Amino acid sequence: MTDILRLALPLTTWLAAFSAVYGLHGLVCSPRWAQAGLGPETGRPVLLLAAGLAIGLQIALLLALRRSRLAAPSPLIRRITTMLAVSALVATVWTLTPVTATTTCH
Amino acid sequence: MFAGASAILVLVMVLLWLAFRRGPAVRKGGPAAEERDERIWIKGLGLAFPLATLAALTAYGLVVGERLLPRPGPDVVTVGAEGRQWAWTFTYADAPGRATGGHPATSPAGRPVDVAITSADVIQSFWVPRLAGKLDAVPGHVNILRIEAWEPGDYAGLGAEFNGPGYAGHRFTVRAHDAAGWEAFLAEETP
Amino acid sequence: MTPSPGPLTALRRHRALTRIWASDPGWKGWFTTVNHTDLGRMFIVASMVFFAAGGLLAMLIRAQLASPRSAFMGPETYAQVFTMHGTIMMFLFAIPLIEGIAIYLLPKMLGSRDLAFPRLTAYGFWCYALGGSMLIVSLLLGIAPDSGWFMYPPLSSSAFSPGPNSDFWLLGITFVEISAMAAAVEITVTILRYRAPGMSLARMPVFAWYMLVVAVMILTGFPPLILGSVLLELERAFGLPFFRPEAGGDALLWQHLFWLFGHPEVYIIFLPAAGIISTILPVLSRTTLLGYAWVVAAAIALGVLSFGLWVHHMFTTGIPHMGLAFFSAASTLVAVPTGVQIFAWIGTLWKGEPQLRLPMLWILAFFVTFVIGGLTGVMVAVVPFDWQVHDTHFIVAHLHYVLIGGFVFPMLAALYYWMPHLTGRRRFFRLGETAFWLVTLGFHLTFLAVHWVGLLGQRRRIHTYDGGDGWEVINLIASIGGFVSAIGFALILLDVAVNAAVAVRGPRNPWGAGTLEWAMPMPPAPITSPPCRRSAAATPSMTTPRCPFASLAAKAIWAIPRATGAKR
Repeated sequence: MTDILRLALPLTTWLAAFSAVYGLHGLVCSPRWAQAGLGPETGRPVLLLAAGLAIGLQIALLLALRRSRLAAPSPLIRRITTMLAVSALVATVWTLTPVTATTTCH
Repeated sequence: MFAGASAILVLVMVLLWLAFRRGPAVRKGGPAAEERDERIWIKGLGLAFPLATLAALTAYGLVVGERLLPRPGPDVVTVGAEGRQWAWTFTYADAPGRATGGHPATSPAGRPVDVAITSADVIQSFWVPRLAGKLDAVPGHVNILRIEAWEPGDYAGLGAEFNGPGYAGHRFTVRAHDAAGWEAFLAEETP
Repeated sequence: MTPSPGPLTALRRHRALTRIWASDPGWKGWFTTVNHTDLGRMFIVASMVFFAAGGLLAMLIRAQLASPRSAFMGPETYAQVFTMHGTIMMFLFAIPLIEGIAIYLLPKMLGSRDLAFPRLTAYGFWCYALGGSMLIVSLLLGIAPDSGWFMYPPLSSSAFSPGPNSDFWLLGITFVEISAMAAAVEITVTILRYRAPGMSLARMPVFAWYMLVVAVMILTGFPPLILGSVLLELERAFGLPFFRPEAGGDALLWQHLFWLFGHPEVYIIFLPAAGIISTILPVLSRTTLLGYAWVVAAAIALGVLSFGLWVHHMFTTGIPHMGLAFFSAASTLVAVPTGVQIFAWIGTLWKGEPQLRLPMLWILAFFVTFVIGGLTGVMVAVVPFDWQVHDTHFIVAHLHYVLIGGFVFPMLAALYYWMPHLTGRRRFFRLGETAFWLVTLGFHLTFLAVHWVGLLGQRRRIHTYDGGDGWEVINLIASIGGFVSAIGFALILLDVAVNAAVAVRGPRNPWGAGTLEWAMPMPPAPITSPPCRRSAAATPSMTTPRCPFASLAAKAIWAIPRATGAKR
C-alpha cells in the first residue's frame, strides 16, 4: 500500500496545486478581490507566489522520494516512482507557466 | 499545423511498416539492446520529440490568443447581442434605445467591435466564421468578443451551440458599413 | 461441503469446488449468479446489445444527413436520436464493456478465485441493466432525452424541457454510474488485495496496472457527475435553484461538474484499451513489452493528468485567457504520456517478430486511426483554433477517431484474441478479415469526410442543411462510408456467432501468451484456480488460493513478460 502512496503522491499534489492556482485565479478576477481592497495589479504576484510554492513542493517531493529511507524496496517501483515524481515536476512547471505572461482577467 | 500533423502521421506509418518489413536477422536480445531500445524509442521519440513540438505549439497558440483579446482602444464600438430560442437581438451603445432583430446586426467596417454576448434563456453560441471564433452566450453572464470586419459587406452568422428544435435555422447576418453608412445608421430614427 | 469419499484427487476436488462456485443451472442462474466469469460475459453481451442500438441510431443520423433538406426526421426526433446515440455509446456501451472485460479477466490473470465482492458485481450488473433499459424504453416511447449527451442546463432544465425526457437521462445514467462505481471498488480491492501469493506489484500483468488506474479514476471522476445529476434532478423536480441564474444559480456549474467527469471519462475509456494493446501486442510479436516501467508510469501519469483538462471543453464559454492557458497547456501535456506508450508499442514491434494475425490487424488499425485522432486533438487544444472549430463536425470527427480508433478497434483485437478463451474453439470461418476491411475503410471514408465538412463550417447537431454550400457530396460520401462500416460490424457479429457455435475445439493457449488466464481450462470453469501441484486447502475460501506463485514460475508461466532475455 505504501508503494501505491509513493506512486500517487507527486502527481496528486500536482492536481491539487493546479486546481488551487486555477481557483486562486478565479478569486483574483472576481469582484470580491477588489472589495477586499486589493488592486488588479496584485493578482499576478500572488499567482506567481502560488506557482513558485507548488514547484518548490514538487522538488521537495522528488528529493524526498529518492532518499533511501522513503524509497520503495523494489527497484522497479523505485524507478517508476522517480519517473512519476519527475513528470509531476514537469507538469507543474508546464501548466503553471501561463501565470508569468498571459493576461489575467480577460 | 496541418503539415506538421501530416508529417508525424507519415513518420508513424513508416515506422510501423518497417517493423513488419525488417527481417528477423537484425534482432539481438540482451539487456544492452533493451537499454538502447528504451533510449531511442521511449526517451527520444516518446518523450523528447512530443515535449519539444508541444511546447512550441502551446506557446504559439497562447501568443495568438493574446492578440485576439478585446483590449480597450479609442475607436472600439460596443454592440450588445442577446440570444434566445431562435433569434438574436442586437443593441448599440452609440444609439441607445435602438434594437435590431436577427437580420441584420449592423457594425462599422474597419473598426474593432466588442460584442457583449448574453442569453435570455438557454446557452447559445455567437459565431461569425469569417470575423472571429465563437463565444458562448450564457444566461447570467456577459462575454465580450472582439470582431473586426475589414471590408463593408454582409457576413453570415450562426448560433453554434445546440439549443433546441429550431437550432438549424438559428442564423443572423452582420452587416458592416463604411464610415458614412455607419453614421447614417446611427442617425436613423428609432422606429 | 459434503465430505468426499476416498482420496481427494485433483479431478474430484475440482468437481467439488465447481458445485459450490457454479451458478444455478437453467434460466434461474442468469438472475442469481454472482460468479465473475458469468457476470463478465453478461456485461460484455449487454454492452454489445447497446452498441448495436447505438449503431442503429448512428445509421439513422447518417441517413438524415445524406441529403440536404432531408424530410426523414424532424428536429425533435433528430435531437432524441443524436442525444441517445452519444449517451448509449459513452455510458451504456464503452464503460460496461470495460467493466465486463475486467470482471471476466482480472481474477484469472491475478490467480484469484473470484473478485473481492462477488455480490457487488451482481449488484452492479443489475443497476446497469435497470438504468440502461429505462433509457431504451424512453427511446421506444419517443420521450428520450433530447438536449445533447452532455445535457447542458438550462436547455435540459424544466423550463425548456418540460417533458420527462431529461428525467430519464438523469435517473437512468445515475444507475449506470452506480454500477460503474461498484465495479471500480471491486477492481481496486481485487488488484490490491487478491493477487496470487508471490505476485508483487512489480510482477503484476500490465493489464492489471492499467485497470487499477482506471478503477481509481472511476472512483474519482464519477462522483462529480452523480452530484451534477442529483442537483439537476432536484432542480427539475423541486425547483431548487442550482443552475438557474435568475434564482442565484449558475449554468456553468453544470459544465464544470459534467466535464470534471467527462474528460477523465475519455481516458477511462482509452486506458483499458491501451492495457489490452500492451498485453496483446508483445504476445503477437513473440517478445516482451519494451519499457514496462515506462509504460506503467505513462498510464499512471495519464490517469492523473487527465483530471486537469476539463475546462478545454469550455474554451468558448468566456473564461479569462489565463484560465484557458492553464488548460491549453495541460491539454497538450497529456499528449506526452500517450506518445510514450505509442512509441513503446512501436519499439516492441521492432524488437520482436510481429505476426499479421487478425488481432494484430486491428491493432494496426488502432495505430493509424488513433494517431490521426490524437493529432487533431492537439490542434483543438490550441485555443484560437478551437474557437473556430468548436461545435462543428470537425470535433465530431475528432472524437470518433479517438473513441473508435482508441477504443473500439483495440476491443475488437481483444475480442479476437480472447475468443478462444471464451469459447474454447478455434476460429474456422474467415469472415473476420473481410469485416476488418469493411469496417476500417468505411470508417475512414466517413470521418475523413466529416473532418472536411466540419472545416467548411457544418455545425454538429443540425438536423438539416441547405444545398449549395458544397456539403452535399461530402455528406453523401460520409453516409455511404457509415453504411459500409455498419455492414462490417454486422459481419463481425456473424463471424463471432458462427465461430462460437460450430467451430472446432482449439488448443489451450493458442497464442503462446505468458499471462495466467491462459493457464486454465478453456472455456473457463466456474472456479478460477491456477494450476497447483498440491493444494493444502480443499475448502474454497475467499482468501487467495494457497498455491505458490513460485511453482508457476518454475513452469515458465510468468505473469508479465519481463525483460529476462527468455523469448518464447
